[in-house]
Amino acid sequence: MDSKAILDHQFLVAAYAVTWAIQLGYVAWLFLKWRAQKRPKG
Amino acid sequence: MKKFAIGLYVVVTLALMVWGYYQAIYVAPEDAMQGEIFRIIFYHVPSASVAFLFFAISLCGSIGYLSYRRSRPDWAQISDAWALAGAEVGVVFCTVVLTTGPLWGRRAWGIWWTWDARLTTTLVLWLIYVSYLLLRRFAAGPQMQTLAAVLGIFGALDVPIVYMSNRWWRTQHPSPVFGGGEGSGMAPAMVSVLMWNMLAWMAWGVFILGIRYVVERKQQRIDAAEQQQALNAIL
Repeated sequence: MDSKAILDHQFLVAAYAVTWAIQLGYVAWLFLKWRAQKRPKG
Repeated sequence: MKKFAIGLYVVVTLALMVWGYYQAIYVAPEDAMQGEIFRIIFYHVPSASVAFLFFAISLCGSIGYLSYRRSRPDWAQISDAWALAGAEVGVVFCTVVLTTGPLWGRRAWGIWWTWDARLTTTLVLWLIYVSYLLLRRFAAGPQMQTLAAVLGIFGALDVPIVYMSNRWWRTQHPSPVFGGGEGSGMAPAMVSVLMWNMLAWMAWGVFILGIRYVVERKQQRIDAAEQQQALNAIL
């Protein structure tokens, strides 16, 4: 593998990882919001 | 029955996500010009499509809220919940577009960012909807909902401008792949992979849109109950 192909691969991995980090981060935030609604306010 | 249907939908969505990923990484042929980096298209383009669709849902919700706020308050609240859910999930997908795009651009063009029409109008779209969410976060009451609905309608006006930007102006961003005139298009093997990923991200987007809508409807009920309680305490 030449250096261009290695860099391309790293950028591709970064793009896919960032996509999933954003999506799963948002789902986690939604879950926390939903759980907070279930808990009665003290 | 409802739980079974939701469970089935989640399973199908996850299967589509796995299938889409497999297709994008292992099945799609390598692009002759760009090589492996081209595979970003299978996440970048579907995310943009889903964001546009959800901003359109937000637009419908905003129009619905303004139409029903006096005559049918219950319908207005439902519309408002859809408007918020569409805007918020749309921002999530638009954020994906604005992060995967520069990663792709850095390798394809040698730059992270350029102020061309497509990139700039997309950033403006994102900023408008982030403003919409901030308005909803830091203000309260029916006036906030009305202002948010108006902002949501103005924000949606940017969607066709983003879509047409690389047709109307010369841009660093590539010309449209589909419907871009002579010379545009994609190899059939790549088109099918793109369509699978489009379907997968659409299914995933609809899933989280549904959750966001349910959470917002519940929040509306909690807020209404608290307001009633406060009113009872005064009287």
